[in-house]
Amino acid sequence: MKILVCVKQVPDIDAPVDIDVGGQWVGPAPTFRMNRFDEYALEEALLFKETFHDVDIDAVSVGPARVQTVIRRAMELGADTGVHIEISQEGYVPPEVVAAHIQEYARDKGYDLIVCGAMSEDGMHAQVGPLLAEMLGLPSITAVIAARMQADGNRLDIEQEIEGGIRRRFELSLPAAISVQSGINHPRYPTLTNVLRAKRQPIVHLVAREIKVNSRFCFRAAPVAKQGVMITGTLREQAVEVLRILHEHAIL
Amino acid sequence: MDTRIVIIAETIGAVVLPVSYELVTLARAIDPTHIEMIVLGTDSTAAAHEIAGRTGVPVTAVATSTEYTPELWKDILSRNIPVCNPDLVVIAHTACGQDFAPGLAARLGAPCITAVESFFRIDNNLTFTRAVLNGKVLMDVSTDTSRPCVLTILPGAFEAYSAIPPAPGAVEIIQSEAKPCKILPYGMSHPEEEDAIPLSEAETIVSAGRGIGKPENLELIERLAARFKRSAVGGSRPLCDLGWLPYRQQVGLTGKTVSPKLYIACGISGSPQHVAGMKNSQLIIAVNKDPHAAIFQVADFCIVADLVEFIPVLLEEQDKI
Repeated sequence: MKILVCVKQVPDIDAPVDIDVGGQWVGPAPTFRMNRFDEYALEEALLFKETFHDVDIDAVSVGPARVQTVIRRAMELGADTGVHIEISQEGYVPPEVVAAHIQEYARDKGYDLIVCGAMSEDGMHAQVGPLLAEMLGLPSITAVIAARMQADGNRLDIEQEIEGGIRRRFELSLPAAISVQSGINHPRYPTLTNVLRAKRQPIVHLVAREIKVNSRFCFRAAPVAKQGVMITGTLREQAVEVLRILHEHAIL
Repeated sequence: MDTRIVIIAETIGAVVLPVSYELVTLARAIDPTHIEMIVLGTDSTAAAHEIAGRTGVPVTAVATSTEYTPELWKDILSRNIPVCNPDLVVIAHTACGQDFAPGLAARLGAPCITAVESFFRIDNNLTFTRAVLNGKVLMDVSTDTSRPCVLTILPGAFEAYSAIPPAPGAVEIIQSEAKPCKILPYGMSHPEEEDAIPLSEAETIVSAGRGIGKPENLELIERLAARFKRSAVGGSRPLCDLGWLPYRQQVGLTGKTVSPKLYIACGISGSPQHVAGMKNSQLIIAVNKDPHAAIFQVADFCIVADLVEFIPVLLEEQDKI
């Protein structure tokens, strides 16, 4: 069985980050890491590999040279092969472009299963998985919170998480694509064997052709503290003010 | 210039989800004259009559052979939508909408803009706004207006349409022969409810996000919550994913939608998915060490501080009273 896992490198959004109207980084380059949803996607593929013999996992990422660090990370975690589809320029890449590049690479590779994260933490489109599936003519299910391979290896029993924690159940025939929700599993840490292997093993490198984008977009900072009152001062002054407000609202 | 809009209503069984009426509000704000709705499902006729009665919009009910699967919905909608020749196809940014909208757009040869929160016009060109980077940055997207464009709208971004229409909209019923093939539906399961005070009934919710740093710090959140009557501890999705809190305590689109008297957000960045689940709280106090955190956009009172330092001081000060 051949599994393709799509991984994205994202800026660490817990740290202060900013971008300009064109989608380029403003100020010092942020710290980059693997998109958390993709860690769950990779772990799900690794779990299939543990259950079924003869599973090959390729990890693919689209972006400039820096994304090789997340491809390397995927290999350290257990992906058999890393694939880098290189786009030379920095900055925002729309989901339809990412999906089109992966589709070009994947269309003649005969993958039985494609696993993506539910969305990227930076773009938050939640589109690459279902778009890629559509481009490849594969059935796809998103927001997957449980996936169990049937014994024959031809079908998956899927639970999809919808609002309020309710789950829809499906049976999905392979080849197919799934986008996994965070919390579906517990992503592992790299093993020393895989770390050493990932260091030596070359990454498959392709250069992306140019794809035209039809939508126009620009970015701007979200308005901060639209109506809210900023409580300033020392910690103690802030605490006293919060207590005063709670008394005023008759809550404490 | 006229904008023709087709709304895909979302239902579970015969129940019309409130977000379907929010989509009507958005559509009417864009162009109230050319709106029609499509509702799919095994019980779509009852849902169609309810929607037509409450909105005055003409509704096409497609009676399907089975419950929802993305394959079936894409198949039916990609054949029915071109008949309406719309400029915009409006879908809810729910798990279900996210599931079929991108593939449907590709099948229609249309661009897809997801998680839209607002729109504006410049010279008659529609531009849609959505959040990126966990809500710290906004992205304005516009597309070539000559083609249909598929939108998914974040639940809670618009009020549900509630005006009483002069007359109900017309209802047309279509029987679909389409059968699921690669994806078979097998029903639903509901989460178990347990809890001393469920989130939905708490008057005060003290919620924690990744900013608490380590699970041991949850004790601070619990100690703070214990100071309020009828209180509960909540959390953001990432915290539940880490296993630090059970999912039944998750606030947000994929968890609980709450509106307590007081909501204290501790170390929560404020992603649109979380905010949609708590923004109707009566009073919101946010503590976060990142002054640019998106949670400050919805908070009534904002405290830029490390909660691990701030909460003990707050508890100490309260003890003095």
